[in-house]
Amino acid sequence: MSALLEVTELSKSYFKQRGLTRKKIIALQNISFTLHTAKTLAIVGETGSGKSTLAKLLVGIEKPDSGEIRLSGQPVEISNYKKYNHVIRFIFQDAGRSLNPLQKVGQMLEDVLRFSTILDIEQRRIKIRKTLKQLGLLDEHAEYYPHMFSGGQLQRVALARALILDPKLLILDEALTALDPSLRAQIVNLLLELQHKEGLAYLLITNNLQLVRHISDEMLVLYQGGMADSGLTTDVFANPTHDYTKKLINSAF
Amino acid sequence: MLLLDIKNLTIELETPEGLIRAVDRVSLSLREGETRGLVGESGSGKSLIAKAIVGVLNRRWRITADRFSWMGQDMLQVSTEQRRKIIGRDIAMIYQEPSRSLDPTAEVGEQLEEAIPNHLLEGHWWQKPFLRKKKAIALLHKVGIRDHQNIMQSYPYQLSEGICQKVMIAMAIAKNPKLLIADEPTTALESTTQAQLFRLLASFNQLKGMAVLLISHELESVARYTQNLSVLYCGQLVESGDTTAMLKHPFHPYTHALIKSVPEFQPELPPKTPLYALPGSIPTLQHLPIGCRLGPRCPNARKECVKTPILDRLQNHYYSCHFPLLSRDDT
Repeated sequence: MSALLEVTELSKSYFKQRGLTRKKIIALQNISFTLHTAKTLAIVGETGSGKSTLAKLLVGIEKPDSGEIRLSGQPVEISNYKKYNHVIRFIFQDAGRSLNPLQKVGQMLEDVLRFSTILDIEQRRIKIRKTLKQLGLLDEHAEYYPHMFSGGQLQRVALARALILDPKLLILDEALTALDPSLRAQIVNLLLELQHKEGLAYLLITNNLQLVRHISDEMLVLYQGGMADSGLTTDVFANPTHDYTKKLINSAF
Repeated sequence: MLLLDIKNLTIELETPEGLIRAVDRVSLSLREGETRGLVGESGSGKSLIAKAIVGVLNRRWRITADRFSWMGQDMLQVSTEQRRKIIGRDIAMIYQEPSRSLDPTAEVGEQLEEAIPNHLLEGHWWQKPFLRKKKAIALLHKVGIRDHQNIMQSYPYQLSEGICQKVMIAMAIAKNPKLLIADEPTTALESTTQAQLFRLLASFNQLKGMAVLLISHELESVARYTQNLSVLYCGQLVESGDTTAMLKHPFHPYTHALIKSVPEFQPELPPKTPLYALPGSIPTLQHLPIGCRLGPRCPNARKECVKTPILDRLQNHYYSCHFPLLSRDDT
Protein backbone atom coordinates (compact mmCIF):
# COMPACT_ATOMS: atom_id res chain seq x y z
CA MET A 1 0.00 0.00 0.00
CA SER A 2 1.44 3.34 -0.94
CA ALA A 3 1.34 6.03 1.68
CA LEU A 4 -1.25 8.79 1.54
CA LEU A 5 1.26 11.51 2.17
CA GLU A 6 4.97 11.17 1.76
CA VAL A 7 7.31 14.01 2.57
CA THR A 8 11.00 13.75 1.83
CA GLU A 9 13.79 16.15 2.76
CA LEU A 10 11.56 19.16 3.03
CA SER A 11 13.37 22.42 3.80
CA LYS A 12 12.32 26.00 4.08
CA SER A 13 14.20 29.12 5.04
CA TYR A 14 13.28 32.77 5.30
CA PHE A 15 15.38 35.82 4.72
CA LYS A 16 15.37 38.72 7.09
CA GLN A 17 16.58 42.08 5.89
CA ARG A 18 19.24 43.55 8.15
CA GLY A 19 20.44 46.80 6.67
CA LEU A 20 22.28 45.85 3.51
CA THR A 21 22.81 42.23 4.40
CA ARG A 22 20.22 39.52 4.52
CA LYS A 23 20.11 37.07 7.34
CA LYS A 24 19.03 33.55 6.59
CA ILE A 25 16.67 31.92 9.05
CA ILE A 26 16.20 28.22 8.65
CA ALA A 27 12.63 27.32 9.54
CA LEU A 28 12.69 23.69 8.50
CA GLN A 29 15.51 21.38 7.57
CA ASN A 30 15.30 17.96 5.96
CA ILE A 31 11.96 16.85 7.27
CA SER A 32 10.79 13.46 6.07
CA PHE A 33 7.80 11.43 7.14
CA THR A 34 5.03 9.28 5.75
CA LEU A 35 1.40 9.19 6.72
CA HIS A 36 -0.94 6.33 5.83
CA THR A 37 -4.71 6.38 5.44
CA ALA A 38 -6.67 6.28 8.71
CA LYS A 39 -3.60 7.05 10.78
CA THR A 40 -2.73 10.02 12.94
CA LEU A 41 0.61 11.75 12.99
CA ALA A 42 1.29 14.17 15.81
CA ILE A 43 3.79 16.97 15.44
CA VAL A 44 5.16 18.29 18.69
CA GLY A 45 7.58 21.11 19.33
CA GLU A 46 8.01 24.46 21.00
CA THR A 47 7.12 27.77 19.37
CA GLY A 48 9.56 28.64 16.64
CA SER A 49 10.39 25.01 16.00
CA GLY A 50 8.74 25.08 12.59
CA LYS A 51 5.45 23.34 13.33
CA SER A 52 3.31 25.98 11.72
CA THR A 53 5.70 26.36 8.79
CA LEU A 54 5.35 22.66 8.11
CA ALA A 55 1.56 22.96 8.17
CA LYS A 56 1.72 25.93 5.82
CA LEU A 57 3.92 24.00 3.39
CA LEU A 58 1.53 21.08 3.40
CA VAL A 59 -1.52 23.15 2.55
CA GLY A 60 0.35 25.19 0.02
CA ILE A 61 0.32 28.59 1.67
CA GLU A 62 4.12 28.61 1.38
CA LYS A 63 6.37 26.95 -1.17
CA PRO A 64 9.18 24.71 0.01
CA ASP A 65 12.78 25.53 -0.96
CA SER A 66 13.65 21.94 -1.58
CA GLY A 67 12.18 18.52 -1.00
CA GLU A 68 9.25 16.62 -2.32
CA ILE A 69 5.68 16.08 -1.24
CA ARG A 70 3.94 13.02 -2.63
CA LEU A 71 0.23 12.42 -2.42
CA SER A 72 -0.70 8.74 -2.87
CA GLY A 73 2.54 8.13 -4.71
CA GLN A 74 2.31 11.12 -7.05
CA PRO A 75 4.67 14.06 -6.64
CA VAL A 76 2.55 17.19 -6.38
CA GLU A 77 2.96 20.92 -6.64
CA ILE A 78 0.98 21.53 -3.50
CA SER A 79 0.67 25.27 -3.97
CA ASN A 80 -1.62 24.55 -6.88
CA TYR A 81 -4.30 25.18 -4.35
CA LYS A 82 -7.40 24.63 -6.52
CA LYS A 83 -6.35 21.13 -7.35
CA TYR A 84 -5.39 19.84 -3.93
CA ASN A 85 -7.65 21.59 -1.46
CA HIS A 86 -10.05 18.66 -1.81
CA VAL A 87 -7.51 16.33 -0.36
CA ILE A 88 -5.93 18.30 2.43
CA ARG A 89 -8.03 20.52 4.67
CA PHE A 90 -6.95 22.75 7.50
CA ILE A 91 -8.58 23.50 10.85
CA PHE A 92 -7.49 26.55 12.76
CA GLN A 93 -6.87 27.04 16.43
CA ASP A 94 -9.80 29.26 17.26
CA ALA A 95 -12.99 28.16 15.53
CA GLY A 96 -14.83 31.29 16.62
CA ARG A 97 -12.35 33.63 15.05
CA SER A 98 -11.75 31.70 11.86
CA LEU A 99 -15.40 31.90 10.78
CA ASN A 100 -16.90 34.94 9.12
CA PRO A 101 -19.28 36.53 11.64
CA LEU A 102 -21.43 38.10 8.92
CA GLN A 103 -22.11 34.90 7.05
CA LYS A 104 -24.61 32.21 7.85
CA VAL A 105 -23.17 28.77 8.29
CA GLY A 106 -25.12 27.36 5.35
CA GLN A 107 -23.91 30.17 3.12
CA MET A 108 -20.35 29.55 4.18
CA LEU A 109 -20.57 25.85 3.38
CA GLU A 110 -22.26 26.65 0.08
CA ASP A 111 -19.38 28.95 -0.86
CA VAL A 112 -16.89 26.19 -0.25
CA LEU A 113 -18.83 23.90 -2.60
CA ARG A 114 -19.41 26.59 -5.20
CA PHE A 115 -15.74 27.43 -5.51
CA SER A 116 -14.34 23.94 -5.37
CA THR A 117 -16.87 21.56 -6.89
CA ILE A 118 -19.12 21.28 -9.93
CA LEU A 119 -22.28 20.38 -8.01
CA ASP A 120 -25.49 22.23 -8.88
CA ILE A 121 -27.74 23.98 -6.36
CA GLU A 122 -29.80 20.96 -5.42
CA GLN A 123 -26.78 18.69 -5.02
CA ARG A 124 -25.08 21.33 -2.93
CA ARG A 125 -28.07 21.55 -0.61
CA ILE A 126 -28.11 17.80 -0.15
CA LYS A 127 -24.41 17.73 0.49
CA ILE A 128 -24.63 20.48 3.12
CA ARG A 129 -27.45 18.68 4.89
CA LYS A 130 -25.52 15.43 4.85
CA THR A 131 -22.38 17.00 6.25
CA LEU A 132 -24.21 18.81 9.03
CA LYS A 133 -25.92 15.58 10.00
CA GLN A 134 -22.66 13.70 9.95
CA LEU A 135 -21.27 16.10 12.54
CA GLY A 136 -24.30 15.98 14.77
CA LEU A 137 -25.73 19.36 13.79
CA LEU A 138 -29.30 20.04 12.74
CA ASP A 139 -30.58 21.26 9.38
CA GLU A 140 -31.71 24.58 10.80
CA HIS A 141 -28.17 25.27 11.98
CA ALA A 142 -27.45 26.22 8.37
CA GLU A 143 -29.46 29.39 8.99
CA TYR A 144 -27.45 30.35 12.07
CA TYR A 145 -24.69 32.91 12.35
CA PRO A 146 -21.46 31.84 14.06
CA HIS A 147 -22.14 33.84 17.22
CA MET A 148 -25.27 31.78 17.90
CA PHE A 149 -23.25 28.64 18.47
CA SER A 150 -21.47 27.51 21.59
CA GLY A 151 -17.78 26.72 21.55
CA GLY A 152 -18.15 23.03 20.88
CA GLN A 153 -20.67 23.54 18.11
CA LEU A 154 -18.39 26.11 16.48
CA GLN A 155 -15.62 23.55 16.41
CA ARG A 156 -18.09 21.21 14.73
CA VAL A 157 -18.94 23.88 12.16
CA ALA A 158 -15.24 24.34 11.45
CA LEU A 159 -14.99 20.59 11.01
CA ALA A 160 -17.98 20.64 8.68
CA ARG A 161 -16.27 23.25 6.53
CA ALA A 162 -13.24 21.02 6.32
CA LEU A 163 -15.07 17.75 5.76
CA ILE A 164 -17.59 18.92 3.18
CA LEU A 165 -15.09 18.31 0.37
CA ASP A 166 -14.45 14.74 1.53
CA PRO A 167 -10.76 15.20 2.25
CA LYS A 168 -8.28 12.44 2.86
CA LEU A 169 -6.14 14.39 5.31
CA LEU A 170 -7.06 16.88 7.96
CA ILE A 171 -4.51 19.19 9.51
CA LEU A 172 -5.45 20.27 13.02
CA ASP A 173 -3.31 23.21 14.07
CA GLU A 174 -3.73 23.37 17.86
CA ALA A 175 -7.44 22.90 17.26
CA LEU A 176 -7.98 20.96 20.46
CA THR A 177 -5.82 22.94 22.84
CA ALA A 178 -8.08 25.78 23.82
CA LEU A 179 -11.18 23.68 24.41
CA ASP A 180 -12.65 22.82 27.78
CA PRO A 181 -11.92 19.27 28.91
CA SER A 182 -15.40 17.82 28.49
CA LEU A 183 -15.78 19.53 25.13
CA ARG A 184 -12.39 18.28 24.06
CA ALA A 185 -13.42 14.77 24.94
CA GLN A 186 -16.48 15.16 22.72
CA ILE A 187 -14.46 16.43 19.76
CA VAL A 188 -11.80 13.76 20.22
CA ASN A 189 -14.50 11.11 20.18
CA LEU A 190 -15.95 12.64 17.04
CA LEU A 191 -12.55 12.67 15.32
CA LEU A 192 -11.84 9.09 16.29
CA GLU A 193 -15.23 8.01 15.03
CA LEU A 194 -14.71 9.78 11.70
CA GLN A 195 -11.32 8.20 11.34
CA HIS A 196 -12.78 4.80 12.01
CA LYS A 197 -15.68 5.22 9.58
CA GLU A 198 -14.27 7.33 6.76
CA GLY A 199 -10.60 6.44 6.97
CA LEU A 200 -9.48 10.01 7.49
CA ALA A 201 -5.86 10.72 8.28
CA TYR A 202 -4.98 13.45 10.74
CA LEU A 203 -1.94 15.60 11.15
CA LEU A 204 -2.18 16.86 14.68
CA ILE A 205 -0.09 19.84 15.66
CA THR A 206 -0.20 20.24 19.40
CA ASN A 207 1.59 20.77 22.66
CA ASN A 208 -0.55 18.47 24.72
CA LEU A 209 1.38 15.23 25.10
CA GLN A 210 -1.45 13.45 26.89
CA LEU A 211 -3.62 13.92 23.88
CA VAL A 212 -0.82 12.85 21.55
CA ARG A 213 -0.41 9.66 23.44
CA HIS A 214 -4.09 8.97 23.31
CA ILE A 215 -4.98 9.63 19.70
CA SER A 216 -1.86 9.48 17.55
CA ASP A 217 -0.22 6.47 15.97
CA GLU A 218 3.03 8.14 15.10
CA MET A 219 4.74 11.26 16.28
CA LEU A 220 7.38 13.66 15.12
CA VAL A 221 9.23 15.97 17.47
CA LEU A 222 10.60 19.14 15.94
CA TYR A 223 13.39 21.09 17.54
CA GLN A 224 14.71 24.29 15.96
CA GLY A 225 13.60 23.27 12.51
CA GLY A 226 15.07 19.80 12.58
CA MET A 227 13.66 16.41 13.43
CA ALA A 228 14.51 15.51 17.00
CA ASP A 229 12.62 12.27 17.27
CA SER A 230 10.17 10.37 15.16
CA GLY A 231 8.51 7.02 15.11
CA LEU A 232 5.60 5.20 16.64
CA THR A 233 4.12 7.11 19.57
CA THR A 234 4.66 4.29 22.03
CA ASP A 235 8.30 3.91 20.97
CA VAL A 236 9.05 7.60 21.31
CA PHE A 237 7.44 7.75 24.73
CA ALA A 238 9.27 4.63 25.86
CA ASN A 239 12.75 5.64 24.79
CA PRO A 240 13.22 9.20 23.60
CA THR A 241 16.62 9.83 22.05
CA HIS A 242 16.90 13.60 21.77
CA ASP A 243 17.46 15.74 24.88
CA TYR A 244 14.55 18.01 24.05
CA THR A 245 12.15 15.08 23.77
CA LYS A 246 13.28 13.78 27.13
CA LYS A 247 12.71 17.18 28.70
CA LEU A 248 9.29 17.43 27.11
CA ILE A 249 8.18 14.00 28.27
CA ASN A 250 9.54 14.62 31.75
CA SER A 251 7.67 17.89 32.07
CA ALA A 252 4.40 16.23 31.14
CA PHE A 253 4.54 13.27 33.49
CA MET B 1 -6.70 31.26 60.60
CA LEU B 2 -9.19 31.75 57.81
CA LEU B 3 -7.91 34.28 55.35
CA LEU B 4 -10.89 34.53 53.10
CA ASP B 5 -14.32 33.29 54.03
CA ILE B 6 -17.15 33.61 51.55
CA LYS B 7 -20.56 32.10 52.03
CA ASN B 8 -23.31 32.04 49.43
CA LEU B 9 -21.79 34.53 47.06
CA THR B 10 -24.27 35.41 44.35
CA ILE B 11 -23.42 37.53 41.34
CA GLU B 12 -26.25 38.75 39.15
CA LEU B 13 -26.43 40.80 36.00
CA GLU B 14 -29.33 43.08 35.21
CA THR B 15 -30.50 42.75 31.61
CA PRO B 16 -33.61 43.88 29.78
CA GLU B 17 -34.88 40.30 30.04
CA GLY B 18 -34.50 40.25 33.79
CA LEU B 19 -31.87 39.22 36.27
CA ILE B 20 -29.34 36.65 35.16
CA ARG B 21 -27.70 34.78 37.95
CA ALA B 22 -24.19 34.10 36.74
CA VAL B 23 -22.86 32.81 40.03
CA ASP B 24 -25.29 31.02 42.29
CA ARG B 25 -24.54 30.76 46.00
CA VAL B 26 -20.91 29.76 45.91
CA SER B 27 -19.01 29.26 49.15
CA LEU B 28 -15.27 29.49 49.23
CA SER B 29 -12.77 29.66 52.04
CA LEU B 30 -9.02 29.93 52.12
CA ARG B 31 -6.64 29.38 54.99
CA GLU B 32 -3.29 31.08 55.29
CA GLY B 33 -0.70 29.42 53.11
CA GLU B 34 -3.24 27.25 51.33
CA THR B 35 -3.25 26.54 47.62
CA ARG B 36 -6.70 26.08 46.21
CA GLY B 37 -7.67 25.34 42.67
CA LEU B 38 -10.87 26.64 41.13
CA VAL B 39 -11.83 24.54 38.14
CA GLY B 40 -14.68 24.99 35.71
CA GLU B 41 -15.39 25.28 32.03
CA SER B 42 -15.45 28.60 30.25
CA GLY B 43 -18.52 30.55 31.26
CA SER B 44 -18.83 28.86 34.63
CA GLY B 45 -18.11 32.09 36.49
CA LYS B 46 -14.57 31.42 37.69
CA SER B 47 -13.24 34.76 36.61
CA LEU B 48 -16.33 36.52 37.96
CA ILE B 49 -15.67 35.15 41.41
CA ALA B 50 -12.04 36.24 41.25
CA LYS B 51 -13.06 39.69 40.13
CA ALA B 52 -15.69 39.91 42.83
CA ILE B 53 -13.08 39.10 45.46
CA VAL B 54 -10.76 41.80 44.20
CA GLY B 55 -13.71 44.14 43.67
CA VAL B 56 -13.08 45.12 40.07
CA LEU B 57 -16.48 44.22 38.64
CA ASN B 58 -18.32 47.20 37.27
CA ARG B 59 -21.60 48.50 38.61
CA ARG B 60 -23.91 46.47 36.38
CA TRP B 61 -23.12 43.37 38.36
CA ARG B 62 -24.97 42.94 41.60
CA ILE B 63 -22.94 41.13 44.22
CA THR B 64 -24.56 39.73 47.34
CA ALA B 65 -23.24 37.34 49.94
CA ASP B 66 -24.27 36.00 53.32
CA ARG B 67 -20.75 36.32 54.57
CA PHE B 68 -17.72 37.88 52.96
CA SER B 69 -14.88 38.38 55.34
CA TRP B 70 -11.20 38.95 54.90
CA MET B 71 -9.03 38.04 57.89
CA GLY B 72 -12.00 38.27 60.19
CA GLN B 73 -13.08 41.65 58.92
CA ASP B 74 -16.48 41.84 57.28
CA MET B 75 -15.90 43.29 53.84
CA LEU B 76 -19.58 43.96 53.23
CA GLN B 77 -19.73 46.43 56.10
CA VAL B 78 -16.66 48.57 55.46
CA SER B 79 -16.77 51.52 53.11
CA THR B 80 -15.59 51.19 49.53
CA GLU B 81 -12.53 53.32 50.28
CA GLN B 82 -11.52 51.14 53.19
CA ARG B 83 -12.17 48.02 51.21
CA ARG B 84 -9.98 49.11 48.36
CA LYS B 85 -7.22 49.90 50.81
CA ILE B 86 -7.36 46.48 52.41
CA ILE B 87 -7.54 44.62 49.12
CA GLY B 88 -4.82 46.73 47.61
CA ARG B 89 -2.60 45.85 50.53
CA ASP B 90 -3.25 42.13 50.79
CA ILE B 91 -4.51 40.65 47.55
CA ALA B 92 -2.75 40.51 44.20
CA MET B 93 -4.08 39.14 40.97
CA ILE B 94 -2.57 37.84 37.76
CA TYR B 95 -4.77 38.20 34.73
CA GLN B 96 -5.39 35.90 31.80
CA GLU B 97 -3.49 37.48 28.97
CA PRO B 98 -0.35 39.12 30.30
CA SER B 99 0.61 40.95 27.13
CA ARG B 100 -2.82 42.57 27.08
CA SER B 101 -2.94 43.52 30.74
CA LEU B 102 0.42 45.29 30.70
CA ASP B 103 0.53 48.89 29.56
CA PRO B 104 1.73 48.85 25.95
CA THR B 105 2.99 52.42 26.06
CA ALA B 106 5.36 52.12 29.01
CA GLU B 107 8.56 50.20 29.51
CA VAL B 108 8.33 47.10 31.63
CA GLY B 109 10.81 48.42 34.20
CA GLU B 110 8.78 51.56 34.71
CA GLN B 111 5.59 49.56 35.26
CA LEU B 112 7.30 47.23 37.67
CA GLU B 113 8.77 50.09 39.70
CA GLU B 114 5.35 51.67 39.88
CA ALA B 115 3.93 48.51 41.44
CA ILE B 116 6.31 48.62 44.41
CA PRO B 117 4.58 50.33 47.33
CA ASN B 118 6.40 53.15 49.11
CA HIS B 119 6.33 51.67 52.58
CA LEU B 120 8.46 48.72 51.55
CA LEU B 121 11.38 50.97 50.67
CA GLU B 122 13.46 51.86 53.69
CA GLY B 123 15.58 54.92 53.33
CA HIS B 124 15.46 58.66 52.93
CA TRP B 125 13.43 60.20 50.18
CA TRP B 126 16.48 60.91 48.04
CA GLN B 127 17.46 57.27 48.15
CA LYS B 128 14.04 56.03 47.07
CA PRO B 129 14.47 56.02 43.27
CA PHE B 130 17.65 54.04 43.60
CA LEU B 131 16.13 51.59 46.09
CA ARG B 132 13.09 51.20 43.91
CA LYS B 133 15.17 50.20 40.94
CA LYS B 134 17.19 47.80 43.03
CA LYS B 135 14.04 46.20 44.35
CA ALA B 136 12.59 45.87 40.83
CA ILE B 137 15.73 44.07 39.67
CA ALA B 138 15.59 41.79 42.69
CA LEU B 139 11.97 40.97 41.87
CA LEU B 140 12.85 40.05 38.31
CA HIS B 141 15.59 37.78 39.57
CA LYS B 142 13.11 36.19 41.94
CA VAL B 143 10.77 35.19 39.13
CA GLY B 144 13.65 33.72 37.18
CA ILE B 145 14.55 36.48 34.75
CA ARG B 146 18.31 36.91 34.70
CA ASP B 147 18.65 39.39 31.89
CA HIS B 148 17.08 42.29 33.82
CA GLN B 149 18.89 45.03 31.91
CA ASN B 150 17.23 44.18 28.61
CA ILE B 151 13.83 43.26 30.00
CA MET B 152 13.45 46.45 32.04
CA GLN B 153 14.02 48.57 28.96
CA SER B 154 11.68 46.75 26.61
CA TYR B 155 8.02 47.29 25.90
CA PRO B 156 5.54 44.45 26.47
CA TYR B 157 5.15 43.71 22.76
CA GLN B 158 8.86 42.99 22.49
CA LEU B 159 8.71 40.21 25.04
CA SER B 160 7.37 36.70 24.73
CA GLU B 161 4.16 35.69 26.46
CA GLY B 162 6.03 33.67 29.08
CA ILE B 163 8.30 36.57 30.05
CA CYS B 164 5.30 38.91 30.20
CA GLN B 165 3.57 36.51 32.57
CA LYS B 166 6.68 36.40 34.75
CA VAL B 167 6.74 40.19 34.83
CA MET B 168 3.09 40.14 35.90
CA ILE B 169 3.96 37.78 38.72
CA ALA B 170 6.84 40.01 39.75
CA MET B 171 4.42 42.94 39.89
CA ALA B 172 1.95 40.89 41.90
CA ILE B 173 4.45 39.79 44.53
CA ALA B 174 6.02 43.24 44.79
CA LYS B 175 3.80 44.11 47.74
CA ASN B 176 4.15 40.78 49.57
CA PRO B 177 0.46 39.91 49.28
CA LYS B 178 -1.24 37.41 51.58
CA LEU B 179 -3.30 36.01 48.73
CA LEU B 180 -2.40 35.68 45.09
CA ILE B 181 -5.19 35.04 42.64
CA ALA B 182 -3.96 33.57 39.37
CA ASP B 183 -6.67 33.67 36.74
CA GLU B 184 -5.75 31.16 34.02
CA PRO B 185 -2.07 32.09 34.20
CA THR B 186 -0.94 29.50 31.68
CA THR B 187 -3.45 29.52 28.84
CA ALA B 188 -1.16 31.44 26.51
CA LEU B 189 1.98 29.51 27.36
CA GLU B 190 3.75 26.39 26.15
CA SER B 191 3.92 23.27 28.22
CA THR B 192 7.54 23.67 29.35
CA THR B 193 7.01 27.29 30.42
CA GLN B 194 3.76 26.28 32.09
CA ALA B 195 5.55 23.85 34.35
CA GLN B 196 8.12 26.52 35.19
CA LEU B 197 5.40 28.96 36.14
CA PHE B 198 3.54 26.55 38.37
CA ARG B 199 6.78 25.68 40.14
CA LEU B 200 7.38 29.38 40.66
CA LEU B 201 3.95 29.85 42.23
CA ALA B 202 4.46 26.77 44.38
CA SER B 203 7.81 28.04 45.63
CA PHE B 204 6.33 31.40 46.66
CA ASN B 205 3.60 29.55 48.43
CA GLN B 206 6.09 27.51 50.40
CA LEU B 207 8.72 30.17 51.07
CA LYS B 208 6.48 33.07 51.96
CA GLY B 209 3.34 31.32 53.08
CA MET B 210 1.40 33.14 50.42
CA ALA B 211 -2.01 31.64 49.75
CA VAL B 212 -2.71 30.94 46.08
CA LEU B 213 -6.07 30.69 44.38
CA LEU B 214 -5.38 29.03 41.06
CA ILE B 215 -8.12 29.38 38.49
CA SER B 216 -8.01 27.21 35.41
CA HIS B 217 -10.02 25.01 33.11
CA GLU B 218 -7.34 22.37 32.93
CA LEU B 219 -7.91 19.93 35.70
CA GLU B 220 -4.65 18.07 35.19
CA SER B 221 -2.33 21.01 35.82
CA VAL B 222 -4.37 22.37 38.72
CA ALA B 223 -4.51 18.99 40.38
CA ARG B 224 -0.77 18.66 40.39
CA TYR B 225 -0.06 21.91 42.21
CA THR B 226 -2.89 22.42 44.67
CA GLN B 227 -3.95 20.99 48.02
CA ASN B 228 -7.63 21.74 47.74
CA LEU B 229 -9.96 21.96 44.83
CA SER B 230 -13.31 23.57 44.10
CA VAL B 231 -15.21 22.59 41.00
CA LEU B 232 -17.71 24.96 39.42
CA TYR B 233 -20.33 24.21 36.83
CA CYS B 234 -22.37 27.03 35.33
CA GLY B 235 -21.95 29.24 38.35
CA GLN B 236 -22.83 26.60 40.90
CA LEU B 237 -20.33 25.08 43.25
CA VAL B 238 -20.40 21.40 42.47
CA GLU B 239 -17.84 19.91 44.75
CA SER B 240 -14.97 21.04 46.93
CA GLY B 241 -12.46 19.29 49.09
CA ASP B 242 -9.01 17.80 49.26
CA THR B 243 -7.52 17.42 45.77
CA THR B 244 -6.15 13.89 46.01
CA ALA B 245 -9.21 12.56 47.79
CA MET B 246 -11.48 14.14 45.24
CA LEU B 247 -9.55 12.80 42.26
CA LYS B 248 -9.60 9.36 43.77
CA HIS B 249 -13.25 9.36 44.62
CA PRO B 250 -15.44 12.15 43.28
CA PHE B 251 -18.95 12.40 44.65
CA HIS B 252 -20.54 14.54 41.99
CA PRO B 253 -21.30 13.21 38.50
CA TYR B 254 -19.80 16.32 36.92
CA THR B 255 -16.46 15.95 38.70
CA HIS B 256 -16.56 12.29 37.79
CA ALA B 257 -17.06 13.14 34.12
CA LEU B 258 -14.35 15.79 34.26
CA ILE B 259 -11.82 13.36 35.63
CA LYS B 260 -12.84 10.65 33.20
CA SER B 261 -12.52 12.94 30.20
CA VAL B 262 -8.83 13.64 30.78
CA PRO B 263 -6.59 10.87 29.41
CA GLU B 264 -3.96 11.62 32.05
CA PHE B 265 -6.13 10.29 34.86
CA GLN B 266 -6.89 7.13 32.91
CA PRO B 267 -3.51 5.47 32.54
CA GLU B 268 -4.96 2.07 31.76
CA LEU B 269 -7.20 3.41 29.00
CA PRO B 270 -5.90 2.01 25.70
CA PRO B 271 -5.05 4.61 23.01
CA LYS B 272 -7.62 5.40 20.33
CA THR B 273 -10.61 4.44 22.43
CA PRO B 274 -13.39 6.98 22.90
CA LEU B 275 -13.14 9.17 25.96
CA TYR B 276 -15.95 9.55 28.44
CA ALA B 277 -17.93 12.68 27.70
CA LEU B 278 -21.20 14.11 28.95
CA PRO B 279 -23.73 14.64 26.18
CA GLY B 280 -24.73 18.15 25.16
CA SER B 281 -22.95 21.36 25.95
CA ILE B 282 -22.90 24.05 28.61
CA PRO B 283 -26.14 26.08 28.58
CA THR B 284 -25.85 29.79 27.93
CA LEU B 285 -26.60 32.19 30.75
CA GLN B 286 -29.89 33.21 29.15
CA HIS B 287 -31.21 29.67 29.12
CA LEU B 288 -30.18 28.18 32.41
CA PRO B 289 -32.09 25.12 33.58
CA ILE B 290 -33.77 25.44 36.95
CA GLY B 291 -32.56 23.50 39.93
CA CYS B 292 -29.29 21.67 39.50
CA ARG B 293 -27.81 23.20 36.38
CA LEU B 294 -26.17 19.96 35.34
CA GLY B 295 -29.64 18.37 35.24
CA PRO B 296 -30.21 18.00 31.47
CA ARG B 297 -26.75 16.53 30.91
CA CYS B 298 -26.45 14.44 34.03
CA PRO B 299 -26.49 10.65 33.55
CA ASN B 300 -28.23 10.04 36.90
CA ALA B 301 -30.69 12.93 36.87
CA ARG B 302 -34.07 12.22 38.41
CA LYS B 303 -37.23 14.10 39.24
CA GLU B 304 -35.77 15.67 42.37
CA CYS B 305 -33.04 17.42 40.39
CA VAL B 306 -35.32 20.36 39.48
CA LYS B 307 -34.69 21.59 43.03
CA THR B 308 -31.30 23.08 43.66
CA PRO B 309 -29.42 20.68 45.92
CA ILE B 310 -27.93 22.16 49.06
CA LEU B 311 -24.25 21.84 49.82
CA ASP B 312 -23.74 18.63 51.78
CA ARG B 313 -20.62 17.49 53.52
CA LEU B 314 -18.84 14.30 54.33
CA GLN B 315 -15.66 14.92 56.35
CA ASN B 316 -14.35 18.10 54.82
CA HIS B 317 -15.57 17.08 51.40
CA TYR B 318 -18.45 19.23 50.20
CA TYR B 319 -20.71 18.31 47.33
CA SER B 320 -24.05 19.47 46.05
CA CYS B 321 -25.97 16.63 44.51
CA HIS B 322 -29.15 14.77 45.38
CA PHE B 323 -27.67 11.49 44.25
CA PRO B 324 -23.94 11.56 44.98
CA LEU B 325 -21.73 8.73 43.86
CA LEU B 326 -21.24 7.46 47.38
CA SER B 327 -20.93 3.77 46.75
CA ARG B 328 -17.43 2.70 47.64
CA ASP B 329 -16.81 0.51 44.64
CA ASP B 330 -14.88 2.57 42.14
CA THR B 331 -16.73 3.02 38.89
